Amino acid sequence: MGKYLGLDKVSRFFEILKQNGGIRASLSKIYRTDELKFGTLIGEDKYGNKYYENKMYFYGRNRWVDYNNKLMLDYDGSQVPAEWFGWLHYKTDVPPNKDPTRVNYPWMADHTENLSGTSGAYMPYSTVPPKIQAWVPPKPKSS
Amino acid sequence: MAALKLFSLQRSAAPMMRSAVLLAPQQRGCYKIVTPKESDMSFKDITDRAAATMFWTELFRGFGVTLAHIFKEPATINYPFEKGPLSPRFRGEHALRRYPSGEERCIACKLCEAICPAQAITIEAEERADGSRRTTRYDIDMTKCIYCGFCQEACPVDAIVEGPNFEFSTETHEELLYNKEKLLNNGDKWESEIASNIQADHPYR
Repeated sequence: MGKYLGLDKVSRFFEILKQNGGIRASLSKIYRTDELKFGTLIGEDKYGNKYYENKMYFYGRNRWVDYNNKLMLDYDGSQVPAEWFGWLHYKTDVPPNKDPTRVNYPWMADHTENLSGTSGAYMPYSTVPPKIQAWVPPKPKSS
Repeated sequence: MAALKLFSLQRSAAPMMRSAVLLAPQQRGCYKIVTPKESDMSFKDITDRAAATMFWTELFRGFGVTLAHIFKEPATINYPFEKGPLSPRFRGEHALRRYPSGEERCIACKLCEAICPAQAITIEAEERADGSRRTTRYDIDMTKCIYCGFCQEACPVDAIVEGPNFEFSTETHEELLYNKEKLLNNGDKWESEIASNIQADHPYR
């Protein structure tokens, strides 16, 4: 009955507030993400990003990432590490923390966000020694 | 005898059937009128149309549609937090992979360089100290690349792959002129996802 009157929306509103940690935290969440959602915590990566899922939202919105709170507004789409990338992009339903087949070699590098525009940005350089030696003009004898 | 009887039967029956075909009335009753229906010119219909014009009923019905859409759930996604679905075959940023031992896969066969339709790949090879053939230069101009995926199809050792990453936009052009170090670093960063993509796609190749 309450569902037909839309009363479940009211109870859901309080549930969302509760899950996001009260009114103040919810307001800051809205400020950061323009959105207030609730769902089950699927996992957290080593950079502090949390991954949630709620099938109530439609496909494409039912999985989302909550970037590390320390970043405040400096979040970026490229901060999702490779392990979680496939799950967040609906490539697989198995989150990496429950996937034993996922490879983990010692030579694998840590994830970095897209560093373009910062001092850490990649600048191209030649990986081979120069093939042409420039001619150095002999010094004129000083008279 | 039986064959003869059948023959005569066929001879007598054939003209009868032909006439039946010719005399059958041509049934073509299922016409479909595709032109817009002509408006009814009875007095009631004319006044109804005039009233619709005068009272702008279309306008208010349009407002109704707008109002309905305000209460609808938006069909957009909130991008950096929610992301759209991708295929394991998605062709994004390039990466050079390594063997599980950490040895680089590329053997400098230059098949990718040969097949590249945009000629974005430049390779120079040299013998390494241990005698194996390796690249010294592996450059991809990502601004020339058309992301056709021919390089990863051509590669005999699965060294060059187009990884899943598409969030590598840069502020300058030169940052997109990738060299070998950058490509190997991409491979080290994305190996987890690249390996699972290859695993997901292997039944189809």
